[in-house]
Parts: sequence; structure tokens; C-alpha cells
Amino acid sequence: MSEMSMEKAELALPATNDVIDEEVRLGFWLTLPAQCLVLFIAVFPILMQLYISMTDWSPLDGIPWYRAYELWIGLINYTDLASDSRFWAALWRTFVVMIVCVPIQFLLGLGLAVLFVDEFPGKRWFYSTLLVPMMVVPAVAGYMFFLLFQSGGPVNDLLSVFSSSPVRIAWLSDASLALVAVMAADIWQWTPLMFLILLAGMISVPQDQQMAAVLLGASWWRRFVTIVLPRMKTIIIIALAIRTIEIFKIFDTLYIMTGGGPGVATETISVYIYKVTQQDLIWGYVAAIALVILIVLSVVSAYAISTMSKGAKVR
Amino acid sequence: MTQIALSNLGKKFGAFTALAQMNLTIGDGEFVALLGPSGCGKSTTMNMIAGMVAPTEGDIRFDDRSILNVPMSRRGVGFVFQNYAIFTHMSVRDNLSYGLRAQGVSTPERNRRVSAMADLLQLTPMLDRQAAGLSVNILQRLAIGRSAVVEPAIFLLDEPLSNVDAAFRSVMRSELKELQRQFSQTMVYVTHDQLEAMTMADRIAVMDHGKLLQVGTPLEIYNNPQDIFVARFIGSPGMNILEGRIAQSDKGKLVDLAVIGRSAPLILSGRAAIEDLPEKILFGFRPEQVNPDPNGTLALPVNFVERIGARSILHLGADSMGVKAVLDNQITLPNIGDILRFSIDPKKVRLFDPVSGNAVGGAD
Repeated sequence: MSEMSMEKAELALPATNDVIDEEVRLGFWLTLPAQCLVLFIAVFPILMQLYISMTDWSPLDGIPWYRAYELWIGLINYTDLASDSRFWAALWRTFVVMIVCVPIQFLLGLGLAVLFVDEFPGKRWFYSTLLVPMMVVPAVAGYMFFLLFQSGGPVNDLLSVFSSSPVRIAWLSDASLALVAVMAADIWQWTPLMFLILLAGMISVPQDQQMAAVLLGASWWRRFVTIVLPRMKTIIIIALAIRTIEIFKIFDTLYIMTGGGPGVATETISVYIYKVTQQDLIWGYVAAIALVILIVLSVVSAYAISTMSKGAKVR
Repeated sequence: MTQIALSNLGKKFGAFTALAQMNLTIGDGEFVALLGPSGCGKSTTMNMIAGMVAPTEGDIRFDDRSILNVPMSRRGVGFVFQNYAIFTHMSVRDNLSYGLRAQGVSTPERNRRVSAMADLLQLTPMLDRQAAGLSVNILQRLAIGRSAVVEPAIFLLDEPLSNVDAAFRSVMRSELKELQRQFSQTMVYVTHDQLEAMTMADRIAVMDHGKLLQVGTPLEIYNNPQDIFVARFIGSPGMNILEGRIAQSDKGKLVDLAVIGRSAPLILSGRAAIEDLPEKILFGFRPEQVNPDPNGTLALPVNFVERIGARSILHLGADSMGVKAVLDNQITLPNIGDILRFSIDPKKVRLFDPVSGNAVGGAD
């Protein structure tokens, strides 16, 4: 059979190759204008950023940005950045939020997906309810959690029920607890997205393969670990990549809840950039920070995408 | 090896009856084909034996033990899915050893059984290849091996050849039959392809609309259909069924087929005596039984000739009086528009009750 099909393929190749070449060429010329536009939109800001990051320019200097070369300082912004402990602390804090929130969101989302992959009474209702947090505007979610975590707020009231004495924890003004509150808000808001993606992946695992595993005597757990999870590999990587990148950019909810404080206790990389831009107005420096982050994120995404395509090939 | 007994088995999905009153005993080591068109209940029956679907009535017994309360992972049923359901993210070896691992068989024993099975199915050279991208016949053997290695009591095969192109099907048919001989296990085979059922099965169970119509060896089913559905479904083309009336002649009773003519005097044996026949009758005969005969009592115009190689199919008459005839190409074929005179060997005639559709005698 394989010999037969190989022969067929060899016979068919020369004819189709020409056609494919022609189609590729035509496609290239037809999409060229759009490609150029997209390239310009994507590349221009990066080049501009690179340019500004080599200067000491700020909008208050009274010269337009394209004449920023008058304030050329070379790589000083970058060397400053390397020794900026507030930057490194913000970066570290962002990573902490990432390594706490992403796994928790993943495990919760996976658990919910396992529950929702089977039918049960009231499933549609629960399903819609679960997706609500995702649809709440992040600014609104920020205010909600700001109120929830007040020292006289519902979170403390709830905790009081379980402890003998009334709980009065100052969540948002305690440097060691504020980040916990911020992470709770992020988990609340973004677990549904993880759940939604993972559920879609779980539903697409072929039913007959799962049945085959059960008929061969596999327990639920064995089926889950050997069939369901490996088959979901690609979608799991996508879900993790989306949330990792999103959390790296965490800003709105957090800024409304704590404003990055108390002090710099919840200052993530986005909050730090915002503060440097709006308060210190040193735009050249901000451009340098943004470029470094862009490079970090690109490396992470490239790695995720290459792993993903490897997973797809195995399929 | 196990005997399977289905008694009064039925399945309703809401108001829809997928299967009703199914009674069938499948003997130890027997190869039974469930044959019928789509939606006849054959797959439902199979899924109930495997435990994927629970019956709404009746019982399923393996060796006189009801298995309705046995979960499907404990039934000891080997199931080969229509698309084989191979774990394509694993190697061939991991596929083969999956069931043994799940059942906690020790490593040396597992390796021994996997390599024995791989030898039997000629899978040894590709044991460490990824299962994705294997050719269809290897996938089929792997699917069978994966089920067989855990030594299931019975084997269920759900249309395993329906995804294979026609040319390759005959190769796979003989391969499957050979495997069944080697395993000598009880096998139930679901198919809508009569050729598969005829060539492989010890017995065929013909089903339609959730009902079991007839069970018998392929030749019994072919020669003595007990129902007009079976008569029309089996054979390619199926049996000709014409409306007629019983008439009297000096040589005995015969069937008057109106414009077509009158049949030869009937020779009947079996359940109905000639005297008991209802007046209106359905007159059935295989297209192969049409015997061109200048002195034949039956005649129809030729409308169309299909040449299919060694034989030709003649379409005679039209609509309710239409007849198909399969003739050897050795004889000179009539032209379109000619009137073909023919006779039917009275021993080969099958009669059916027009009301119930059941056969009314005629077994020779």
C-alpha cells in the first residue's frame, strides 16, 4: 500500500509543483501592499522606540521627537536600566504574579473543564455564570476588589465568620498582603478564560480514543493522563502562553486597587513604566525599558510557538 | 471465549426506538455479522454489548451471566472502532501494551505478550514507530492487536472496513478472516456491506428499523430469505419481487403476473402448503435465475443493459413490473427494445405474503 501511494505521489509531483510555485508567486504579489503596510505599522514604532531610547528626549524639551538626536546619549539609558533596582524589583514582582497566578488559573480551569465536559443538570446556567468575570471591565473589577478588600470589607467579614474574633486585616495597605489581593482579583477574572480554552480543547479529544482506553481497562485517571492531557498539549500551551503574556502586562485592575502601592509593594513592570512616563517624564528611558520587555516577551513567545508546532507535528 | 446471549434486548432514545425485541445467541468462537442499512440498530446492539450504551429493556448474558451491571472496563470486550481509534500520540509498542499496563500486568509478562502479538500481526519492525502516519492496513492490525493482547472474551468490530477504498477492502477482508481463524474468538462484526458479511461471517443477522429479521448462514440468508426486506437487501442486485395472483392450471397452481405472463406451476415445500397460499402473492426470484428461453412463459421488454465485465445486468420492464436479470456474457444479449422471453426454475421461486412481507414456503 505504501509503495503504491509513493509511486502515485512521485508521478503527481512534477505537475503540481509548477502550479504551486505559480500560486505562491501570485499570492506574494497580491498580498505585498498589505504586507508592506503591516510591516510599516509593526516596524516603525519599534525603530522610533529604538531611536528615542538612545536619547534623553522628553516632550517638555521643546523640540519635536525627530530632532531628538540633539539629545543623543548613546547606550546610557540601557546602562542605567541595568543598575535600576526599582526596575528589577518590578520585573521580579511581575514574575512572582505570573508564577503564582498562571498555575492556579490553569489548575482551576482544568478542574472546571473536567466537570463541564460531561452533562449535568443546570450545566448551561453554571456555564454562563462562570464566564461572567471575564466579561467584567477590568477597571470595574478593580473597584470591586478594592471594596472587597477594605479592612471593613466583605472579605474580612467572611473571614470573621470562620475565626472567633473579628478580622480586620488591612489588605491593600499592608505591603506583604497587597500583592495577594491583586493576585486574587486576577485569578477571579481570568480563570474563566483558561477554563473556556481548556474546555474547548477537552471536548475536541476524540471520544472513541477515550472509549478505547476504557474498554482496555483504563481507570479514569489513567485515561485522563495518557489520552486526554497529551491530546490537549497544543491547546494547553496556547492557554498558558496567552495568560503568561497577559499577566506580564497586568495593569488596569491592579492600578485601581493599589496604584502600585503601598510604596512600591505592588509595582509591576507596567505600573513602573506608567509612573516613569507620567510622573518622571523621562521618555528616552521608558523607550529603553519597553524595548527590553518586548525582547523578553518575543523570546518567550517564540519558544512557546516552536514547542507548539512540535506538538502539532506529533499529531 | 464466551457465548453471548441477547434476550428481548431493546433500546429507546426518548420516543425513538433504536432496537426492539432482539433475541440472538452467538456461540462460542462464532463469527456473526450484524448486517443492515444505516439506522437499523446494529451499532446500538454492538454498543450495548460493549457497555457504551445501556439497554432500556432485556438482558445481555456472557456465558449465562448477566453483564448489565458490569462497567465497560471490566467486561473483557475487545472493540475495534470504525476508524480504529489508535492512540496516534504514542508509539506502536505503547498502543499494544496500553491494555496490559492498565490492567497492571507485570513488565516481563507485558513485554512477552506484546512481542508475541507483534510477531503474530507482523508489527515487529515498526514497534518503535509513532502510530501517527501508519498505513490503513497496519492501523487495522494494530487496532486488532491492541484489543487482542489483553485476551478479551469477545471481539466486537464496528464497520472496520468502511474507511478503506474498494480495491483494498478485499485484501483486508481476507486478512481479517485469517486473524479470526488464528484467535478463534467469538466475534461480532457490524457492517452494512453484504459482501463483507457473506464472505467472512459464520452466520449473518439481518436487521432493519431496530428489528432482527433473520439469522442464518450466508447461504441460508441468500437462498431462503424469510422476509421481503432480506430478499431485496441481500444479493447485488437484490431479489426481484413482483405482485401476482395465484391461479389454477391443469398442471397445478401457478402465479399469474398479469402483463408479464404466468409462471411455471409452483413446486413448494416447507412451511406453507400450496393450498394455503393467499390469493394475492409476492413472487420473488433472483436476477441470476432469469433464464432466457424462447418458449418461456414470461416476457418483458429490455430497457437498459449494464455491462459489468463477465456478466451483464438487464433492466426489464419498468416500475412495479420491473425485473433485473443477470446474464452471462457468453450468450448473445438482446438489444434494447427487444422483448425477452424467459422462464424461472419453479424450485428457485420464493413467495411472500404481501401483507406481512414474510416468506410463505418455498424452501427446497
